[in-house]
Amino acid sequence: MNILTIALRNARKKWVRTLLLLLVFTLGVVSIVSLNFVSRVVGEGLEKKLVSFGANILVSPKTEKLTVSYGGFALGDMLFDVTYLDEADTLERIDRIELRKNISVIAPKLVVMDRVQGMAVAIVGVRFAQEKQLKGYWDVAQGAIPGEEPAARKMTDGMHDAPAAAPVPAQNTAQNPTSIPAPIPAAASPTGLAQAPMAPLGQPLDTYRGNGVLVGSSAAAKLNLKLGDTLPLGKAHMVVTGILAPTGSEDDNVLLADLTFVQQAVGHPGKANFVEVAALCSGCPIDDIVTQIGAALVNVEIRTLRNIVEQRMYSVQFVKKLILSVSLVILLTGCSMVGISMLSAVNERKKEIGILRSLGFSRKSVFAIFCAEAASIGLLAGLIGYVAGYGVSFRILAVLDMAEGATLSFEPLHLAATALVLALLTSLASLVPAWKAAAIEPSEALVTL
Amino acid sequence: MNHDASTRPDAAAGQTPIVDAPSLDAPSLEAPILEAVNVTKSFTQDGTPTQALKGVSLAVAPGEFVSIVGRSGSGKSTFLSVLSTLLKPDSGELTYNGLDLARASEADIDGLRHGDFAVIFQFHYLLPYLTALENTLLPFMRGLRPVSGAQRRRGLECLERVGLADKGHRLPGQLSGGEQQRVAIARALVKDARILFADEPTGSLDSATGATVMELLGQIHKDGMSVVMVTHNEQYAGLSDRVVRMADGLMV
Ligand SMILES: Nc1ncnc2c1ncn2[C@@H]1O[C@H](COP(=O)(O)OP(=O)(O)O)[C@@H](O)[C@H]1O
Ligand SMILES: [Mg+2]
Repeated sequence: MNILTIALRNARKKWVRTLLLLLVFTLGVVSIVSLNFVSRVVGEGLEKKLVSFGANILVSPKTEKLTVSYGGFALGDMLFDVTYLDEADTLERIDRIELRKNISVIAPKLVVMDRVQGMAVAIVGVRFAQEKQLKGYWDVAQGAIPGEEPAARKMTDGMHDAPAAAPVPAQNTAQNPTSIPAPIPAAASPTGLAQAPMAPLGQPLDTYRGNGVLVGSSAAAKLNLKLGDTLPLGKAHMVVTGILAPTGSEDDNVLLADLTFVQQAVGHPGKANFVEVAALCSGCPIDDIVTQIGAALVNVEIRTLRNIVEQRMYSVQFVKKLILSVSLVILLTGCSMVGISMLSAVNERKKEIGILRSLGFSRKSVFAIFCAEAASIGLLAGLIGYVAGYGVSFRILAVLDMAEGATLSFEPLHLAATALVLALLTSLASLVPAWKAAAIEPSEALVTL
Repeated sequence: MNHDASTRPDAAAGQTPIVDAPSLDAPSLEAPILEAVNVTKSFTQDGTPTQALKGVSLAVAPGEFVSIVGRSGSGKSTFLSVLSTLLKPDSGELTYNGLDLARASEADIDGLRHGDFAVIFQFHYLLPYLTALENTLLPFMRGLRPVSGAQRRRGLECLERVGLADKGHRLPGQLSGGEQQRVAIARALVKDARILFADEPTGSLDSATGATVMELLGQIHKDGMSVVMVTHNEQYAGLSDRVVRMADGLMV
């Protein structure tokens, strides 16, 4: 028993009031705490996504393009002139910019259109080492990335040779998914692709060959491609060495092959259509990087994905702000409730205050009793609210399908801080009533006429 | 008024209960422990001022039992409140044990109220949400230091002394008026006060209960505590060492 007993006993006696106040504050705390947790997880997820977004700076040659759409249908880019970047020169120049250390990956690409089984498909020449870095989300469902050893398989070399397929003229109409490629000569196999002989059991495919192709999941399904299938490309042919698991990106619809191979096959050695540059990290000086790349290269167009990123971040921030202001309104309401109810309690409890003062309780003690009562409500609301908010966060994340992989850590220090802040808040709210209580003279409370 | 250290009454009061009490109406010969000189106090209510005290003086000797009687509205309660430091007078002097209470700091006054002075009222003021024992121990609950085992035992002793040993766990609402008044007395006892101020302590009690409360006050006085009691009841006033009478804000 000490001075706090007085405050707590009164709070217990007026339990309806206490409970009500507790409820309001707990609600406020729950919403703030869960908001914090959820927005942190969402933010982290977003950041992760942004990083796995891969490139955020796109360097392409300036083209005289006119994007035409009519009646809601994109008719494709009307190309007047196809220009290429010189791969070596471009990479070297980008490599030399001042902010090179902020760039994690430089990935050149050459896109060619071809027709497989009567379907237009894009074949993208890439540098697989860079591409893998750029696309951390890649998951090879079958086989392996060209040039790599398939997981848990032993490699043997040269176990098959694709039968010669009729050479297909190179389709150089890069960047033009809707352009109609030249028809594949009927002499080719009726499906437009030749079947490679089945690899003997236990004898894996040769993925070290330069002509390996990694097939996107949708492309593989639509074109009915299997490991070991061969496809014509320009003067050469490619062998399917791997099939990607669905990525949810454009990679699902394309075929990816080694850049050098594609360059050779389509007769554009050393050329690239565009270069993706990854400098996506929070706080990267994207603007400066763009400026420096622009200065290093002539006749290129540089686009950034920063706007998209910023927009997403902005909407997260907006929701966060919205909920935060609602929570603040709840807390403010709670604070005024505490203030008002304490104020009326001071009048009700004049006699008690008189007794305490007549027993030598100082003004400070009386002040403390009223503050302690309010603070105990805040403290409890903080504790309950934090724990409940922690639980609620999991529910919300589960609903948002973000529960797994979320790293919510229950931090006792934050719990303590929340409880303390709430205690402080409710104490502040009861400052005026407590001050009024302290100002009461014992005589006015006790002397009966 | 000034006391010199050698004549300070506190030493004497603690150890020697007044054995040969002074006769009624005879002023104490000993140096007073509490003295009020020419105290005035006026209230303003609804714009009309009331002079409740028009220059009242009283000296209370250590261990003395003084009764203040008078008609309703004569200023008894006001005077008792001034004496017990609960009310500040407009003018006049108030000295306790050599300490000028008009000039004493708030902390000193709090100290007096906490230690030396005890007050009981007509309507036995207890905190409704604390048990009888907790109400008794209230003086020990001023700070963050918890009530000690010894203090708790003392509280129980005092409750026993007022005949409520078995009702310490009850809330005031579960006690009769007389019992509540006795808890208030136990609270005065627990802190070992030097002066007990009682404003019509039997005023709201029936005569039998009132008699037991008066009996208690008599015992407390015999144990050495000074008592200043305001009462309507001439019979109870007769139990005290001295009776002073007030009328219309003055001693008569
Ligand atoms: N707080 C107060 N406000 C206004 N008038 C008061 C107050 N206290 C006492 N009085 C007035 O002072 C006079 C004395 O009152 P009080 O001391 O209570 O008398 P008693 O206790 O002898 O009945 C009365 O006229 C009363 O109305
Ligand atoms: Mg009175």
